[in-house]
Amino acid sequence: MDLFLTYTILGLVLGSVYAIAASGLVLTYTTSGIFNFAHGAQAMLAAFLYWQFKVAWGMPTLVAFVLVVCVIGPLLGIVLYNVLMKGLRDVEEVTKVVVTVAVLLGMVALSQWIWDPTQARKMDMLFGSSTSIDVFGVVVRYHELLCVVSAIALAVALRLVFTRTRLGVTMRAVVDDPDLLRLNGYNPERIAMSSWALGSGLAAFAGVLVTPVAGGSLEANTLTLLVIDTFAAAMFGRLRSIPRTFACAIALGLVVTYAGGYAPTQWDWVSNFKAALPMVVLFLVLLVLPQDRLRGTSQTRTRERARVPSVRQAAVWGLAFVAIMYLILQVASPIMVGPLIAALVFAVIALSLVPLTGYAGEINLAPLSFGAIGVIVAFHTGIVGTGLAARLNWVGIVAGTIVTALVGGLVALPALRLRGLYLALGTMAFGGIVSTLVIKEIQPRHWFGLDIALFPAGILVVPPPKIGPLDMAKESTFLMTLAVLFAVLGIGIVALRNTGYGRRLAAMKDSPAATAMLGQSLVKLKLSVFMLSAGIAGLGGILMASTAGSVSAENFLIVVSLSLVMLTVVGGVSHVSGALFGGVMVGLVFTLISGTFSGLAIEHPEFESLFGSFAHLFAIAVALMGIGVNQNPTGVVHQICESYRPLRNARPVLYAGGAVAAGVYVLNYVGVYGDWWLAILMFCGVLLLPIVGRIWMPERMMTPAELAEHEARRTPPPELMGLDQPLSDTERFELDLLLGLPPRPLPLQEFAEELEQLTGKDEVHAPA
Amino acid sequence: MPLLETQGVTVRFGGNTAVDDVSLSIEPGSVTGLIGPNGAGKTTLFNTVTGMQRPTSGRVFLDGRDITRKAPAKRAHLGVARTFQRLELFLSLSVRDNVRVAGDIVKASRRGAYDVNGETDRLLELTGLASIADLEVSSIPTGRARVVEVARALMTHPRLLLLDEPASGQTEHETEEFAVMLRGLADTGLGICLVEHDLPLVMQLCATIHVLDQGRLIASGTPAEVQASPEVIAAYIGNEEVTA
Repeated sequence: MDLFLTYTILGLVLGSVYAIAASGLVLTYTTSGIFNFAHGAQAMLAAFLYWQFKVAWGMPTLVAFVLVVCVIGPLLGIVLYNVLMKGLRDVEEVTKVVVTVAVLLGMVALSQWIWDPTQARKMDMLFGSSTSIDVFGVVVRYHELLCVVSAIALAVALRLVFTRTRLGVTMRAVVDDPDLLRLNGYNPERIAMSSWALGSGLAAFAGVLVTPVAGGSLEANTLTLLVIDTFAAAMFGRLRSIPRTFACAIALGLVVTYAGGYAPTQWDWVSNFKAALPMVVLFLVLLVLPQDRLRGTSQTRTRERARVPSVRQAAVWGLAFVAIMYLILQVASPIMVGPLIAALVFAVIALSLVPLTGYAGEINLAPLSFGAIGVIVAFHTGIVGTGLAARLNWVGIVAGTIVTALVGGLVALPALRLRGLYLALGTMAFGGIVSTLVIKEIQPRHWFGLDIALFPAGILVVPPPKIGPLDMAKESTFLMTLAVLFAVLGIGIVALRNTGYGRRLAAMKDSPAATAMLGQSLVKLKLSVFMLSAGIAGLGGILMASTAGSVSAENFLIVVSLSLVMLTVVGGVSHVSGALFGGVMVGLVFTLISGTFSGLAIEHPEFESLFGSFAHLFAIAVALMGIGVNQNPTGVVHQICESYRPLRNARPVLYAGGAVAAGVYVLNYVGVYGDWWLAILMFCGVLLLPIVGRIWMPERMMTPAELAEHEARRTPPPELMGLDQPLSDTERFELDLLLGLPPRPLPLQEFAEELEQLTGKDEVHAPA
Repeated sequence: MPLLETQGVTVRFGGNTAVDDVSLSIEPGSVTGLIGPNGAGKTTLFNTVTGMQRPTSGRVFLDGRDITRKAPAKRAHLGVARTFQRLELFLSLSVRDNVRVAGDIVKASRRGAYDVNGETDRLLELTGLASIADLEVSSIPTGRARVVEVARALMTHPRLLLLDEPASGQTEHETEEFAVMLRGLADTGLGICLVEHDLPLVMQLCATIHVLDQGRLIASGTPAEVQASPEVIAAYIGNEEVTA
């Protein structure tokens, strides 16, 4: 009985913390329509700040607590709302998701810069762990009491605010119809801002409370992802109802604690399962939630503008891509081939997002976790030979791809009846399950009559693929095979968009209601595209493992998935080129930059901290790119392509650009300079060419309106005439005319010219 | 047998009754009008017929078959199509693709041959959209956009076509052409139900008119009967005159 009471109280405490965090999520979502994926990161930052104030600087508990929870937390919410979220009204769901994901990644990078993650930090309970009271013989610490009491107080307070106060009623109104609210003299943005302040304050509160409850050690990634645990509660409340959210949060806390407490000790998987339980519950919640009612959207065109290339154009680009990869391979130093392969492998994984997110508007936040499924299947089915002669055969690759597609369908099915955001949350939870449960299956277990371990010893050794005569043990062969594969997949995906199926996806993205009303089953269509996408991710995952030689849990971290999704959206998720951008950034640029900085730090130990800071700054800069997606939601690659469009009229510029590129390449080929210079020069050249074109051939590059403005800027306006040099006779004459003064006589010849000009123009009337 | 029949359909949102015990029917090969002041429940009734809204009580029959609990897509397969009062176009597609994708859906979800491109061309021609077929649908005026929705709905070869304020945003000339087209469609056996505030258009087109007010069906009959009904006059002009 005592044991039961202890577990119950512990469960209530955990549930209370979940409730506080989840209600913050629901609050910000209902009033601003933005689901804050950075909620957990805010909690994490708050916990670290509290540690800094309390432990490192020795402030009193109360001061540190008030500073973090009541001042910095809400302030951060206000800043986030005003700087970022306010501008996210007329964009697609994926853009909103990516901006908050970028905030999450930025906050994690920032915290790892300030608080060195290799150093262990412990956080004690508020009021210490010795202060306690006795409840029916169970010791309850003040901290635990605070969790429960504040959760109850919060529940009551929110209930009162929403039903009894003007602010609460207007908050609910913001969700229903912000325009109507504005007509009634309220400012929906101020209301949304106050909800962000409140929500962020609650995140900070949850962060400070949860750390000691969860063991006390501060670890940025764990704390950030703790928010996934609360998704189930928020979803059970349909992202709207605070009471339902509270109920589910408390139940979740109890279930997790009982499961950990009562499960027989010989079940070795219980501790993993306990960690995964909130995410399992999330899928159960998805199953019981009733189907979303189909509603018309108030259609305002979002700012994303995707251009659909024809299959022919895609084929030309595909060929050009393979050719460029071949040229790069000829000059790249051998150590660069590995990162290039990694770039293409990640590009294949990112390609899975193009049909799913770019065409159909659905979101998968954990593509790498689907890749992990592919790897596991391929590992168990497709390896032939041993030692250095071991190869991955086509059976493994095909089986891995197909099984991943099936698993994808199974995972997505419960979420597909609901709005897109639920699928995004579901995939993130799936990512959590994969990393807490599947990848932790390192011991052999009896599965369906076979004794196998899913992820033996926590590391999977995957040899290079060999398909028929094509042996990819040689890196250059692997690279070119991947280049061809990416090109073929890319062309295939573009071709898909140009079929009836692709049009149906686009229609569903634009108006689900109209699509359903024409007879399309939305669930079937979403399911098919999700399975296609998962299959591609699985294939990419297998190739990733195979290039890396071996993979462990680190390769499938959710944070890496999130970075890949974010950078693909930055590049442009509706375009195959956006996937390439995402892949190159994650696979090549990340490793290269961090490798270069750590190399420099070793070479110059005296600047070690400086180079370390550069590496951190780079991580934050990447997050800022994600945040900047709001400025350019269609993607970077699209923007560059648009800047090249006018160059079609200015062929000479293009030819000159091509010649310069060839020259730069040849100079590298003969060894005048190295790879870095080649990369930098090419990069600058590509970005600068349109600008060069505008300067060189303005009349061909600009629209008439731009040209007129350009001309106007070149001739000084009349009020500036005579400032840098004395007025000429003609100018004086013109100025007199403009000002309506009697003009001083001009010398005869100039007068004749001027007269000719005036009569020709017929605009200025000379005074009589 | 009527093409569509609603039996005592009631829809409540919380304490607000949007549609109150409405029983009406729509015949094939004719244009039926559904009129009433704003907030009378016309669009909500459409939503219950198309499956976007489950009725609180009551039943909906198509050809005598109970479709009350069928999913929207299923009803489309059975021959129900609609347009939307607040336009629901596929804004990233061209006018042609907006119409064509409806054919893509038909082809993917039903058995039998269906010539998507041929049908698209035929309906663009029929609805007079051929000249603007290659424009982005987001760039055309509202009146034309409503016709795009009609063409799109016709791609599914419906037997019942529900039009929610199709004439609003159209010029007078466009409305005239539109009326001619609707009559032509009805002559082919299609049952059309028209929600419209342009009363002259409704009176001229419809054989039968149902009038809703505050969720209740207050009158049904020919245009002349409806125009003479005191309840209808009260609903449109206000209650004072009647009570006075």
